Amino acid sequence: MAEGIRIENLVKTYGQGDTAVHALRGVNMSVAKGEVVGLIGPSGSGKSTLLKCLGAVIEPTSGRMTIGDRVIYDDGWKVGDLRALRRDLIGFIFQAPYLIPFLDVTDNVALLPMLAGKPNAEARKEARDLLEALDVAHRAAAMPSQLSGGEQQRVAIARALVNRPPVILADEPTAPLDSVRALAVVDLLNTMARQFETAIIVVTHDEKIIPTFRRLYNIRDGVTVEEGPAGSLGSDGAGKS
Amino acid sequence: MISLAGRDILHGWGKFVLTGVGLGLLIGVTLSMAGVYRGMIDDAQALLDNSGADLWVVQKDTLGPYAEPSSLNEDTERPIRAMAGVDRAAGVTYLTMQIAHRGKDVRVMVVGAEVTQPGEPGQPPYLMAGRRIVQGHYEAVADVKTGFAIGDQVKVRRNTYRIVGLTSRMVSSGGDPMLFLSLKDAQEAQFEKDADAIVRQRARTASSPALNPPGNPAVAEAVNAAQASSTNVNAVLVTVAPSADADAVAAAIRRWQRVTVYTRAQMEEILVDKMIANSARQIGMFLVILAIVSAAIVAFIIYTMTIGKIREIAVLKLIGTRNRTIAGMILQQALGLGLIGFAVGKIAATFWAPFFPKYVLLLPADSVRGFFAVMAICALASLLAIHAALKVDPAEAIGG
Repeated sequence: MAEGIRIENLVKTYGQGDTAVHALRGVNMSVAKGEVVGLIGPSGSGKSTLLKCLGAVIEPTSGRMTIGDRVIYDDGWKVGDLRALRRDLIGFIFQAPYLIPFLDVTDNVALLPMLAGKPNAEARKEARDLLEALDVAHRAAAMPSQLSGGEQQRVAIARALVNRPPVILADEPTAPLDSVRALAVVDLLNTMARQFETAIIVVTHDEKIIPTFRRLYNIRDGVTVEEGPAGSLGSDGAGKS
Repeated sequence: MISLAGRDILHGWGKFVLTGVGLGLLIGVTLSMAGVYRGMIDDAQALLDNSGADLWVVQKDTLGPYAEPSSLNEDTERPIRAMAGVDRAAGVTYLTMQIAHRGKDVRVMVVGAEVTQPGEPGQPPYLMAGRRIVQGHYEAVADVKTGFAIGDQVKVRRNTYRIVGLTSRMVSSGGDPMLFLSLKDAQEAQFEKDADAIVRQRARTASSPALNPPGNPAVAEAVNAAQASSTNVNAVLVTVAPSADADAVAAAIRRWQRVTVYTRAQMEEILVDKMIANSARQIGMFLVILAIVSAAIVAFIIYTMTIGKIREIAVLKLIGTRNRTIAGMILQQALGLGLIGFAVGKIAATFWAPFFPKYVLLLPADSVRGFFAVMAICALASLLAIHAALKVDPAEAIGG
């Protein structure tokens, strides 16, 4: 499979000298298009820092990052407009859906393409198609506050997918859901990853869904260790905080 | 392009509109304050316009008759009337007093004007109802703001007058409605002494050998008669002939009559720049304070609204929304608030203006200036919230 995102020897150090905190100490990671991988690790291991580096929210100290064939970071950002990078190449799914409360479901999904300059009608059509694919089209006109938790998360997934980004970063997307809905969301992510050829990295603590990942990255002390499928996890209960 | 501000406003329109109404009432007060100031100027100008005069002849070295006491003999008008360039001249008296009417006290400016023929300076230039004063005594014309009706009897000092005509917008520079009497009646009202004062004055005259020479009682009677009446006026109002230059006529009167003469421009300066100046500064201070309070309220409201959306703003920034889109959303909300506030304020000010005891003049030009001022204040007030929004770290949307 073609490569979705690859990071090599990514380092992030906060501060300098004696007070320096080495959050990432040379992380390596690769996710193919259409693949969903889990990223687990105890609290303070560097998961959030890695997610922020991958999301171009904070700048790594060194290393290399590519999305598809495009070099994003190589000891410095290689793109001028990080906002446009996030808008066009990276989708985000958060622990809580964080839908915009004053926009209806369709416009929550259509917002990104609209902000990118796409005509409203076209953006809304794309949003409705996605909502159809995610089985929430019947709530297209509803406001976020009228949706169940599961429906909100589906809409959030649709929003992350709407620009067809090659990479989606999901930060604990199943945390607020019960096990049935959590597993359904993971199934959905797998389906969407295949359908849209998107590389999806799911940061999670949720033991219910950890067994479902074909590949897991376990991050400890700022270094990733690639684990195999569920069951091959270490006996120390990685993923528990 | 989707309007985030519009959607946000629509989503919580009740709160937004209520906030706008609150702001609007404050803006209404601000517009009314400006209207009060305009009303004072308009009252002053109405006073000058309605007097029908081009020149005001007053006691030498006084600012009379509106700004300072001024007393001239009514005969002053005769030589003035005969001067070149003078069309008409008439004595006039002004006296502000309180009149009891139907159980209420009405504050009026009693104006004494020549009534021998219509069109004399000092007379009301138009009537809304009834007729002008045609009798020498005991008739009056009132401004409608007095609340008097035709046929009403009003008591001024010892005498009772019948209202025979009504006029409007005849007010003093302080906004008190006018009550027109014949000059003789007004002089009596203005210079009349009370009974005790007359008795004492007569006793003093009687005891003075110079004023009451033995064997000649007619002298004392003449002195008493002179003391009990007055032929003084506060000013002589002059209209100049159409072909004459008012400044030149004023200069000639000053030179020959040993009086002070003011032209229309000078009298306007006395009324507006001198008499109203302090009030104008006072109102100006209120306007500045109200503008600051309005700005603070808008800033607080918009800031609070923005802080309440910090997580959404972080998400918007994370998913690639431009700063200018977010700043635009906040600015549009502030301007929207200003728009609602201005509309409510304008309606409120228009609605309550007639209930003010003094004339409130809401000029369209002031409303336009007020609109742009409100918009500018709202735009400035949104800066704090925009600053807060732009400082939001998109990383806040990501846990950890």
